[in-house]
Amino acid sequence: MKHGFYTKLAFTNIWKNRRTYVPYILTCILTVMMYYMVKSLSVNPGLRDMYGGSSVAVTLNLGTYVIALFAFIFLFYTNSFLMKRRKKEFGMFNILGMEKEHLARMILTETILVTVLSIGLGLGLGILFDKVMFLLMCKIVGAKISLGFFVSGSVILSAVRLFCVIYLIIYLKAVYTVQISRPVELLRGSSTGEREPKTKGLMALLGTILLGTGYGLAITIKNPIASIGVFFVAVILVIIGTYLLFTAGSIVILKALRRSRRFYYQPRHFISVSGMLYRMKQNAVGLANICILSTMVLVMLSSTTSLMFGMEDMLKIRYPNDFAVHSREPDTSGQNDKIFQKIEEFCEAESIPVENKVRYASLVFVAEEKGDWFETNGKEINVNGNTSGLRALFFIPLSDYNTASEEKKMLAGNEALIFSDYEAYEKPALGIFDREYQITGHLEEFFGNGASDTNIVTSYYIVVTDEEFGKLKEIGEKELGEMGTAQTYYGFDTSASGKKQELLERQILDIIVEVGAEYEGNYNGFMESRIGNRRDFMGIYGGLFFLGLFLGTLFIMATVLIIYYKQISEGYEDRERFEIMQKVGMTQDEVKGTIRSQVLTVFFLPIAVAGIHIMAAFPLIRLLLAVIGMVNVKLYLICTLVAFLVFAILYVIIYSLTARTYYKIVRR
Amino acid sequence: MAFLEVSCLKKIYTTRFGGSQVQALSNVCFSAEQGEYVAIMGESGSGKTTLLNILAALDKPTSGRVILDGMDLGQIKDKEITMFRREYLGFVFQDFNLLDTFNLRDNIFLPLVLGRKSVQEMTDSLKPIAQKLGIQDILNKYPYEVSGGQKQRAAVARALITNPKLILADEPTGALDSKAANDLLALLGEINRDGQTILMVTHSARAASRAGRVLFIKDGEVYHQIYRGNSTNEQMYQKISDTLTLLATGGDVR
Repeated sequence: MKHGFYTKLAFTNIWKNRRTYVPYILTCILTVMMYYMVKSLSVNPGLRDMYGGSSVAVTLNLGTYVIALFAFIFLFYTNSFLMKRRKKEFGMFNILGMEKEHLARMILTETILVTVLSIGLGLGLGILFDKVMFLLMCKIVGAKISLGFFVSGSVILSAVRLFCVIYLIIYLKAVYTVQISRPVELLRGSSTGEREPKTKGLMALLGTILLGTGYGLAITIKNPIASIGVFFVAVILVIIGTYLLFTAGSIVILKALRRSRRFYYQPRHFISVSGMLYRMKQNAVGLANICILSTMVLVMLSSTTSLMFGMEDMLKIRYPNDFAVHSREPDTSGQNDKIFQKIEEFCEAESIPVENKVRYASLVFVAEEKGDWFETNGKEINVNGNTSGLRALFFIPLSDYNTASEEKKMLAGNEALIFSDYEAYEKPALGIFDREYQITGHLEEFFGNGASDTNIVTSYYIVVTDEEFGKLKEIGEKELGEMGTAQTYYGFDTSASGKKQELLERQILDIIVEVGAEYEGNYNGFMESRIGNRRDFMGIYGGLFFLGLFLGTLFIMATVLIIYYKQISEGYEDRERFEIMQKVGMTQDEVKGTIRSQVLTVFFLPIAVAGIHIMAAFPLIRLLLAVIGMVNVKLYLICTLVAFLVFAILYVIIYSLTARTYYKIVRR
Repeated sequence: MAFLEVSCLKKIYTTRFGGSQVQALSNVCFSAEQGEYVAIMGESGSGKTTLLNILAALDKPTSGRVILDGMDLGQIKDKEITMFRREYLGFVFQDFNLLDTFNLRDNIFLPLVLGRKSVQEMTDSLKPIAQKLGIQDILNKYPYEVSGGQKQRAAVARALITNPKLILADEPTGALDSKAANDLLALLGEINRDGQTILMVTHSARAASRAGRVLFIKDGEVYHQIYRGNSTNEQMYQKISDTLTLLATGGDVR
């Protein structure tokens, strides 16, 4: 055969099938681009220099594996769809005298063409947008922007390698399909007869039960520790349930609708219900895929954005003061006083304003709540078991409380004030060790010390008289040893500039070391600053946010393409059906209306179910976020709603584009 | 006026870019009475399909008129044309055109459902038709589960169920084996004897020999016609064959 024949043939073939090939090639290009960008970001030297950059790099690197796996599954899926559509074409070539090896060579040329095009353009665009992405990420993570253009040869190589392997596998699959089939089969190809789907009542029932259980778990869960395990169980249950309900449940419902004669024998329902029955058979899995992908996108986007935007809240809760020093007894001869004095002296010298200064002592006992009695269980607390009865008890002397909160509360004898962060303490009395206290008041709020807010168990803050505090301290030390010693919290805010704060941060560290050295390094304390932790938070949550956006885009793209291909392949199948309907007396308008309602159902069923999934998952995810300190429910709600809205708008755009193509195909 | 009046039909197709013109029908005139069974024969390209499309109101003639039971097809508004087709015409196609998503019963119901008839009405009108066509036992089956002959009988039932004024059959035996074809032709004859007007386009002399009258179309005109009179099917078949031979050899029968 003439030189260049196959190349020419490959070009014409792709051009002839452009309606399906153009989106495919676009997907390929985008996938290569995504892969390159994430991979390149993860090894970007600018990232390594960034504070918190290492955690971003790790997250991104993990993301590349997700994308690689996803690229493989997705391109494979799309291509097998393309090949199915082209079977007839291959059959024709075969009958016209092309042998299978010629066909294989033709497919090879086509594959090479697509490979070169997608890898070339994908990498080109990837390199181009890589810098933009890096700048965007720096902006999100809040890092300083380093100049320069970064192109990594090893990343390019890894992208080329990955996608060459993917295309090779795709090619082998296509050749295998052609190889095992006979020309007549190829000719018939995409139009093999369809049977009515069977009713699988049991599977539908199972699906309902699984989905119900998953929802139930998500809604009823109260215990934050258990929530992580429950989350995975619920996710698996809901995924299986979704698949079952889409495949079996939909058919059960449609058949029930068909049995209701009055409903069924109406022009609109008549055609939709019977059409959907067949459609569901082929599409149930695809629709379930779309549903689960959408749910994933939404959960990911809403949680990462709420973490990102809720970060300042989380910081404030975790670090109630700009600067804080936590220390534990034994406070050998006033180290604390020395350190705090030196810090304040330094602030004065550097004219750093010190505001909202607090200092208080506290005793922390972890105990099991038994009626109004708290059992400390010696030194061992079994945290692996049921934690629902476990409480953290914070005892604070009245004088410290009054100074820190600028109040003038009075207590006498064994009276106590209480504050609880999760579950309220309603009993009139409280006992621990051999002490008993009468609860004389509930506090509206309490200046948390941050560390305790990361506790997943309920904490009770109990204010007692100084005298009682001293007694508790003695008992604690005796009974629990080091675990029972008193702690001191010292903290303050400042309105100084970031630079000054960084200076102060370093100074406090120096002071602690210096004073500690005076007492033979015996100082049992550490410093926490909001400014230092903000950088870490930014690194983690900014990185997560970025990855969430990125993967979200990828998944949305996948969803779009699955839908697009579904509609087109159905369009070709439905064309004949609608032709017949027009022949036996259906008006253009009726055809249009039927098409609209079918496309609408297929389109919006998955996203509607995804919406329900999200609603059911809401309490559980809220709890999960609370575990990492994100307790702003309103923010999370807003993020979820916005994510859903944005997704829905994108979805509607895709819908209108697809419906138009579909209608064009059907009308011809 | 006759029940179906076709006068001076002319149809000229213009190619897409306005280049050459193709005359599909030059001058077709004929009429048919109620209860007649007319077969239209002609070679490929003679204009049979164009004529059928115009009769089915799927296409409009360049000039000329079609009047069915006093209604001028050219005067019907575009919006009502589908309804007209649904109410007054029944179609039987070569490739059945049954929907594979419906069982036979629902396929037959389709025009009635589109016409928004009640379930009771639909079942009532199906019963006698199904019985006559011998498909009452397979109504719940799907098109892919039954034979070609059974499919075509279901299609005939679908054409009959609206009680149409005219049945248009386009090569109804084209996709059937000879046994099934004969059965179907017998059935169409029977339906015709019950008073149903049928117009059938066909290639097959065998099929045409069952009709009461055969029109031959050549080069877009009615070239010749044969009336059955008192002849048997065999005699009719002979006459048709002779005419076809003449047509093919270019002789003049007029």
